[in-house]
Amino acid sequence: MLLEIKSVQKHFGGVTALRDANLSVREGEAHLLMGENGAGKSTLMKIVAGMQRADGGEVLFRGRRVNFASPKEAAEQGIAMVHQESLLAPHLSVGENIFLGREEMSGFGVVRRGAMMARAAGLIERHGFPLQADWRVGKLSPAGRQLVEICRAIANGSSLLIFDEPTSSLSENETKEVFAIVKKLKESGAGVIYITHRLEELRSIGDRVTVLRDGATVHSCELCDLSRGQLIQHMVGRDLGAIYSRTALVPGEEMLRLERLTRGSVLKDIGLTVRAGEIVGLAGLMGAGRTELCRAIFGVDAFDSGRIFVGGKEIGLKSPRDAVAAGIALIPEDRQKSGLATQLPVGWNLTLASVSAHAPMGVLNGAAMRATEEKYIAKLRIKTAGPGQKSVRLSGGNQQKVVIAKWVAQGAKVFLFDEPTRGIDVGAKTEVFETMDELARQGAAILMVSSELPELVQVADRILVMRQGKISGELPGKTTQEAIMSLAAFEEEVRG
Amino acid sequence: MIQRLLPFATLIVLFVTLCFVPNFLSETNLSSVIRQTAVINIMALGMTMVIITGGIDLSVGAILAMGGLLGTMAMEKGQPILVGVAAGIATGAFCGLVNGYLTTKLKINSFIVTLGTLGIIRGMTLVISNGLPVHLIPKEFSFLGEGTVLGVPFVLWVLTACALLVHFILEHTKLGRYSFAIGSNPDAAFYAGIPVAFHMTCVYAICGGLTGLAGMIEASRLMTGQPTAGQGYELQAIAAVVIGGGSLRGGEGSVVGTLVGAFIMGLLSNGSDLRGISPYWQQAIIGAIIILAVSVDEMRKRRTV
Repeated sequence: MLLEIKSVQKHFGGVTALRDANLSVREGEAHLLMGENGAGKSTLMKIVAGMQRADGGEVLFRGRRVNFASPKEAAEQGIAMVHQESLLAPHLSVGENIFLGREEMSGFGVVRRGAMMARAAGLIERHGFPLQADWRVGKLSPAGRQLVEICRAIANGSSLLIFDEPTSSLSENETKEVFAIVKKLKESGAGVIYITHRLEELRSIGDRVTVLRDGATVHSCELCDLSRGQLIQHMVGRDLGAIYSRTALVPGEEMLRLERLTRGSVLKDIGLTVRAGEIVGLAGLMGAGRTELCRAIFGVDAFDSGRIFVGGKEIGLKSPRDAVAAGIALIPEDRQKSGLATQLPVGWNLTLASVSAHAPMGVLNGAAMRATEEKYIAKLRIKTAGPGQKSVRLSGGNQQKVVIAKWVAQGAKVFLFDEPTRGIDVGAKTEVFETMDELARQGAAILMVSSELPELVQVADRILVMRQGKISGELPGKTTQEAIMSLAAFEEEVRG
Repeated sequence: MIQRLLPFATLIVLFVTLCFVPNFLSETNLSSVIRQTAVINIMALGMTMVIITGGIDLSVGAILAMGGLLGTMAMEKGQPILVGVAAGIATGAFCGLVNGYLTTKLKINSFIVTLGTLGIIRGMTLVISNGLPVHLIPKEFSFLGEGTVLGVPFVLWVLTACALLVHFILEHTKLGRYSFAIGSNPDAAFYAGIPVAFHMTCVYAICGGLTGLAGMIEASRLMTGQPTAGQGYELQAIAAVVIGGGSLRGGEGSVVGTLVGAFIMGLLSNGSDLRGISPYWQQAIIGAIIILAVSVDEMRKRRTV
């Protein structure tokens, strides 16, 4: 056995990323690693590649127990990883990136640049990649960078290669070339671990498959023994945990309508409607375009064509200001980065979007602001020492409530929730759902992006599923996670 | 909290120590400290606003010279003193407006923009004046920098008015609230629908206007419009803000802190003068104080976050 992982655990602060991960890879085998967003696939592979250390369990490589402190140590043992997010130096050339950290040196520590670039050029040539060794990496497309990552991983003859879903950004021809590389690696006796969401595409090269769910290995078998239906069940079949259930309302008038919204290849021909009192879920895998859709509706990214209507009136969007003026609110995915000024007091964040309403002639009406702050702290049951407390000291759930309260205080009518429960503990999640329900009952229209399928099923009245920039289907709220997953991950629709 | 009060404590300790130095408490000396610090102080008030938005203005030294020059030239051409002073302030505000416009529209880092305008404005000042100072100024103009009202230097009244104005803007207006929000998290401000570019431009314009006024005070004290005035003042203004607790990362800073910072530097240099310590050493001491103040501030933040 080339690699054996036995009940590995990993925690980040209070969050458990891996509980009980098990995996074994033979020599000359391509092993697929599958699971939902956040199942722990990337974390597990980062541990194998020396980028993170396990908190428990053991990793055996060629029968010897290993615990790499750095990617360099892992590379010295023959383990290399092709990363999903590019970990390259954008200002250096393709060749320099391929050999970064293991440059050929002559005496006195001088890099033998010519020899290095020639080797890089040879490597690129052998695989027929559309690259040149002297191109600057920063100018490459995401696909080009991915290919550089692959060159980097295979350049020093590794015996275990980890691919973190490399084909999602590649063209058909490049994908074929990557598969050819995998085949060659297998023939040479190396092991390959391939993280992917696309089972069908990989049937031709994969030998075995392991499914991770909530940080634990739930299934491992020969690939040919597994049907798609079984796979989906393994991926999503978990307890729903604390059940939150919402009674849907009779939808009111139309609040938000998109017509043929298109932006490059990121958003293709998106049409949808959200009515007052409705919570519409937006499901999809990572990179399906859900966040991008929210950003387009909120005026952050310009779109190429299509129209947006709020309350039946078409709106022009040049920046979030226009969206806010039209009554749209975005509760962003990354709360700390774009939702909250964490160093400022809770009260300031709470009234940030409604300062103008509290400032006739530009002078703040302190008493009115204080009243608004107190009102919404009470209304959304935000646990804080007071409006003067720094926002950074609040728990994740309460920070999220501050972001929501900011928009309620501003008077928004259309709410875009992008992953509203990310980094929030279970109790607080239910409170966020209750807040959303309350908003809907007061006539707001809500579009909710979530990667947590059980949440969508519990909260949404109906669920739109996105795949590769398109809406691939619509499901009723009380649907199954399996149905969502099959629309999100696979080309054709699975019935039943 | 103790560390937040450190600048105050330093100022008080410094003052009490200096009381033992002969001549320090004399009326002439105290009013000269105030007159010397007022110019930097008024510039630093504007700088406080800029730094709170997360920006920086390196061009204020040049703006001071340009404001002082055009203001005194107006008087030389026979305009009344008040019009001359207004011209100086307007010149500064215009320069600030340009800084703000370039920073927000071209989306260039303010450090780079104002490094460029520092050169442009200083150069234009020399071009306009042909390198020669303006001398033909009405005698009464010296009142701005040297006069007294109710036994207190007139510049102290001006400084107090400016400080109250900036304090009011920062704490009680939309512009102030937005400045803190923009400096603390520009993304969150943008996502909240705040017109970020407009408000940042206002802040630079206000900083420029205050600097123009400081330029007129400087001209009044020297009774000339010097095209080479204010060289290196930008660094003293930045130092005052930083010693007073402003953060170059934005989102932090206060009028009181900046005043304390400027007076600490003023007293240090006055005390050194009285004790006969060379001005060469003074520079080194102030440099050390800046690093000390910022590192204490960083330690405080690391502990609380």
